[in-house]
Formats: sequence, structure tokens, C-alpha cells
Amino acid sequence: MAISLEYVVKETSGNLWRNRLMSLAAILTISVSLALAGAALLLKQGVSVATSQWKGGVQLLIFMQPNATTAQTGAISKQLNALPEIKSFTYVNQAQSYQEFKRLMANSPDLLHSVTESQIPPSFRVVLKNPNDAPSVGSLFQQQVGVRNVNFNRSAINTMLRVTSIMQLVIVALAVILLISAAVLILNVIRVAIFSRRREVAVMKLVGATNWFIRVPFMLEGLAQGLIGALVAALAVIGIQTLFHYAVSHFQISILSNFLVSSHDVLMTELVVVLMGILVGTGGSALAVRRYLEV
Amino acid sequence: MIRLDKVSKSYKDDLYALIDCSFEINRGEFVFIVGSSGSGKSTLLRLLLREERPDTGEIWVAGKELSSMQKWKVPFFRRNIGAIFQDFRLLPNKSVFDNVGFALEVIGKSKRYISVQVPQMLELVGLHDKQDRLPSELSGGEQQRVAIARAFINRPLILLADEPTGNLDPDNSWSVMGLLERINRTGTTVLMATHDVGIVDSMRRRVIELDHGQIKRDQIRGVYGMGQ
Repeated sequence: MAISLEYVVKETSGNLWRNRLMSLAAILTISVSLALAGAALLLKQGVSVATSQWKGGVQLLIFMQPNATTAQTGAISKQLNALPEIKSFTYVNQAQSYQEFKRLMANSPDLLHSVTESQIPPSFRVVLKNPNDAPSVGSLFQQQVGVRNVNFNRSAINTMLRVTSIMQLVIVALAVILLISAAVLILNVIRVAIFSRRREVAVMKLVGATNWFIRVPFMLEGLAQGLIGALVAALAVIGIQTLFHYAVSHFQISILSNFLVSSHDVLMTELVVVLMGILVGTGGSALAVRRYLEV
Repeated sequence: MIRLDKVSKSYKDDLYALIDCSFEINRGEFVFIVGSSGSGKSTLLRLLLREERPDTGEIWVAGKELSSMQKWKVPFFRRNIGAIFQDFRLLPNKSVFDNVGFALEVIGKSKRYISVQVPQMLELVGLHDKQDRLPSELSGGEQQRVAIARAFINRPLILLADEPTGNLDPDNSWSVMGLLERINRTGTTVLMATHDVGIVDSMRRRVIELDHGQIKRDQIRGVYGMGQ
């Protein structure tokens, strides 16, 4: 069955205008919840970037000299293998370290450009059977040839990891709750809009309109609301990011600088926000219109 | 054109709206369905529009069996059926022209086709000078004539009328009946459920009387009923 574009556009825009207060409510609901969810996602990414080195219960970092020879690195590796206190360890080579460095410093291009890959130290990430062994094992490697520095600042790391894991949990929970409430609100808004037009739907069914013919303008209406709401939310997310960035650079809050996320992460977050807006708007209206089609 | 074969329909387990109804209506007939409230008239019309399915039995309308019809075919089936109601069912925010044109728009006809067909139809029902009015600006009789124009604009094979004169005064009732008769003369089968004794008695058409969901009487050239 062919649905003329003119009819769909006319009907959708007419409906949006006729129910402009309802549409505004839906759009605002979507923007607020998606903006918060987007900001939460960004924060979560920031946290995960800042703590990426310490993922998986790593308690000890052994940084090699950037110019350490293969033999020197091999010796450390062999020694780590032999130690009974060690549960596991991984070697992060110069190229991988440089990638990580680039991610961490994405917001400080000056620093990024002044350092080349050959200046970056490769490292061993060590997981111990008993975290309390960190100082003693660490001091074993402190004086070895080719080792630049050993980091076993366990208590500080642990505190940071605990705080960040709780923070991540809270943020994710908040985002999920907000999204669910957004979906329910949108469903309700569109249901009310359709309820106010149930007469029209009944007449359409009476004169032989197909279900898709009735459904498409409503779904496009939801899509438009979701999209507009998501775009507003996307702008808000960029705004929050810019503000944060500005605060960090302007007031020299160096503690927070590690939490900054790259433009790639922002782009992905925006993509998620827009997709969710579209999904929630279209899905909500399709769900809401369903019950009025059952005649 | 319409054939019911042992059709029963109940809404709750014990409440039967139709019990074992069978009858046949041929092309071009004009048939009254009479009976008191709750006798099953409205259920019968809902079944014929395939708004509901029967519990048992077969319903054939315009060559299609309705109880086994797939869902997606229903809209296409309804395009062969015109329907009018006691409460007109017009869209209050659309003009007379748009209300009638809506039936064509919904089945994907072009704007040009609509702009030719709708004035012709309004001419037929005598409302060509009121095409820009809203339904609320018309009398009840005029509103019903708009509804008839909308129901007939697809040139349906069958016109179902559920107490079309129920809200109208005698003058307007007769003008609506005159229109239905003209539509019937074009070969359209008309099935009309009504309470209006005067209309049924003076039209002398086939009368099917329902009583508590059962067919009590099926009479050619009948009257409303004896002792009612």
C-alpha cells in the first residue's frame, strides 16, 4: 500500500502543531533525561580513562627505561615468573603505552606533541597474590638494570579505585533510572496524544485505512520528538563538556585533568544520545498506538 | 451479497448477543433489521463490518468469509462497505469537504481525484454550497448527509446503516431515507437497523426482526411488527 509523502508530512507536522504543548512536554522530557544520561556516560568514560592503568587489580607497576634492551626486559620478565608471590603480570610495550598516553593526554595537545613514542617507558603490570607484598616485591625491582621506577603506592591506588568503582556504579544506575523514566514519560505523552485523537483513528479504520497508514504519522511524530529532544540533549552534553574543560584549564584543577575525555568519546556519547532519542520516541509511539488499532 | 450461516456470538459466557442466525441478502436489496434494544442488531452490524468475529458460524460479505479473514485484509475489505451511524462519526475539526475527502485520502487517492469526486458527491447529497463548513455548523440531518457522502464515495457494494435516523426529526429522517433509496437504486445493497416504525411501515421493504439474538421473522415487504 502506497502512502503518499505529502500526506505523511502534512499529517505529522499538523499533529505536532495541534498538540504542541504535549509535543513540547515530550521533547523536554527527552532532552533533560538524555542530557543527564549523556553527562553520566561521559563521566563514566572519564573515570575509566583515568584509571585504565590499574584495571584488573594491578597493584604494582614496573616502568622500564625507554631505552631498555630486550635482554634487560627479558631478565625482569624471567624474575617475575620465578617469584611465588606473583599471581600474574602483563608486559605493555612502548607502542601500547604510547596509545594509552595519547588517550590520557588527549586534551593536552602541547604535551602530547612534545613527547615521541621512543620517550615513553614500557611497563610491567603486576597482580600479586597478597596485596600487602607490594612494597617488598616492589623494592626487589627498584634497583635492577633497565628499571626506571616502581610504583606500588597501593593504598592511594586502592582508595582511588574504590571511589571510582562506586562512582561508576552510581552513575550507571542514575543513567538507567533516568532513561527508563524518560521512556515511560514519552510513552504516556504519546498515549495521551493518541487518546485525544481516538475518534480520528476510529474513523480511519472505518473507511478502510491500513494499520500502517494510521501508525506511520504517529511514529514519525514520536521520532521527531525524540530527535529534537536528543539534539537539545546533545548540545547540552557538549556544553557540559566545554564548561568542565574550561574549568580545568582556567582554574588549573590538575586533579580533574585525568578525567577529561577525548573528542572521540564525546562523539560516541552524542551518537548514543541521539540513537536513544530516536529509539525511545519511535518505539514509545508505536507501543502507544497499538491498542487503538485493535478494532 | 450477504450470507449468515448459523452465526452465534456471545460477549460473556452466558450473555448471547446472537444465537444461530442464518439469512441471505441478495445484491441490490434494501433490508430493515428491527428489534428492541439489546436484540442483537448492533452486534450483527459489527460482525458485518468485521469489527468482531463470530463464535461459531460463517459470515459471507461481498464474496469474502469474515470469520477466517486475515487481519491485514480487513482494511481492504472495509473499502467495499459503507457505514453510517446514529452519531454520524464525523471529524469535528475537519470541514465538510475534508470529512468526505478523508475516505479517499486514507486509501491513497490523489488530491486531484479527490477534488473532482468530493464536489460531485456533495452535489448528490445536496450540500455542495456548504463544503467549507465544519460539522458543528450543520444541522443533524445535514451532518448525516455528509456521513452518507463519505460512506458512498468509494461506491461500496454494501451500505450498512445503524439507526441513521435515530437522532433526526421526521423531515430530516425522510430526506436521509430518500438518499438511501437513491443509493439503493444504483444497485448498492442497503442494510439498515432501525427503531423507526413509521419509516419501516411506509417503505414496505424486506424486514428481518431480531428478538433476544434470534431471528423471529424474515418477511418480504414487511412492516415493523405486530403488537409492538
